[in-house]
Amino acid sequence: MAEKKVVIDIGDGAALPRRRDRGLFSAWWISLIGALGLIAYLCITRPDPYWRVLKFLPDGIVVTFQVTIMSILLALVLGLITGLGRISKNRVINLIASTYVEVVRGIPLLVQLFYIYFALGQVFANLPDSNALFIFLKNMPPLVAAVIAMGFCYGAYMGEVFRAGIESIDHGQTEAARSLGFNRTQTMFYVILPQAWRTILPPVGNEFIALLKDSSLVSILAVSDILRRGREFASVTFNYFETYTMVALVYLVITLILSKAVSTMEERLNYYERR
Amino acid sequence: MNAAEKIISIRNVSKFFGDLKALNDVSLDIHAREKVVIIGPSGSGKSTLLRSINRLESIDQGTITVDGKNINNPKNDINALRMEMGMVFQSFNLFPHKTVLQNLTMAPIKLKKVPRPQAEELAMGLLKKVGIEEKSAVYPVKLSGGQKQRVAIARALAMTPKIMLFDEPTSALDPEMIGEVLDVMVTLAREGMTMAVVTHEMGFAREVADRIVFMDQGEIVEVGTPDHFFERPEHPRLKKFLSQIL
Repeated sequence: MAEKKVVIDIGDGAALPRRRDRGLFSAWWISLIGALGLIAYLCITRPDPYWRVLKFLPDGIVVTFQVTIMSILLALVLGLITGLGRISKNRVINLIASTYVEVVRGIPLLVQLFYIYFALGQVFANLPDSNALFIFLKNMPPLVAAVIAMGFCYGAYMGEVFRAGIESIDHGQTEAARSLGFNRTQTMFYVILPQAWRTILPPVGNEFIALLKDSSLVSILAVSDILRRGREFASVTFNYFETYTMVALVYLVITLILSKAVSTMEERLNYYERR
Repeated sequence: MNAAEKIISIRNVSKFFGDLKALNDVSLDIHAREKVVIIGPSGSGKSTLLRSINRLESIDQGTITVDGKNINNPKNDINALRMEMGMVFQSFNLFPHKTVLQNLTMAPIKLKKVPRPQAEELAMGLLKKVGIEEKSAVYPVKLSGGQKQRVAIARALAMTPKIMLFDEPTSALDPEMIGEVLDVMVTLAREGMTMAVVTHEMGFAREVADRIVFMDQGEIVEVGTPDHFFERPEHPRLKKFLSQIL
């Protein structure tokens, strides 16, 4: 049995450090220690305004993670459905899934955010107060609009990740499961997806990190994420340089730690390949 | 053997790949407890025929009935029919994310709702039978090719099938591992399992087969007992094939 190792490289998340990749591994340490050291140095030598900026950001970090986690959960659900749709033998389902991917991938995320919050918001504003859904849509909080837009967008990318992960599994696995009497759905959930997961996880982790970075776009919708908190601080104190330096360093530290966490998880997932 | 014992009935089956006739008007009956060995050059359609019995390959014409049920009739649950037919593949196709024991117990537990302790007991018995019980807790990656194939046979047997289909079970093995797999198959044959085997192992065919089927170019060219086959082959294409491999 050919043990093929498929690596899916989609998206623009941080590079994932692997133990074997010494260059990248030390680059990761240099970046992390450099960023943390710089934050410490700046806060100690010039607590005003650096320490004041840093103290102002944690509420934004919480919001950034809220948006990112909710969006990725929505994207995973949409991605699984889309991925299964893309490999479906049913032409209609296949076409719907493929069209969704094409359309979403062709529109910038920022435009999608504007579209859902401002353009659709205008449509929703004219809805009658006849039921709970309409009332909710009329008063859609920015956070909800942000999660819907980002989940919808990343769901399309995630669909490609799921499709590639599922297709990376040898067809003999499907034949073996079907010959035992498993139906198509059981084969997918008991045999294919548990194996595809280890191919899917690294790009999903990568997408998570990319999504966290893209979540800074939601600051435009008045969602108080890290970037928005920074803007609020700078607009009062006029310390633009100091504020955005801190904002950049905070994002960097977060994505570096996450990329390490993803690569560690990936190593753990390969348990059954170890001889 | 009388007609009532027919467990697999293949009637006028054809299959096309574009213009190529993979199967051309093939008819063959396999009776309960019978061992049928199918031989032929590569591309002769022997694997396609075997795989069409449990519908891993679709057919374009003709009918295949297993236990009296037409497998291509949508009214018959193909998944239920497949549970009656164990299949062993050239490339083993063990589930790499499951231990050896889990490979055997997964289908009985999920599909037949066998309680886990009972399924594990049955599985351990089968692993003992194929001589590999000490490996029950390891993942397939740690097994040799011969061990993998013996586990694959045990996995198919764990569903207590009425029929076993073998698709070139020793073709992917190193020569020194072929014997251990054939031994398991011989034991299975002696116990009275109904078997259809696609293979190049002529020693196995001679020892075990009730009938040998020779296929070439999508057709069944000759059918006979091992004696007839190896001592008095009739068709020139069979004579040529035998002269090439023996």
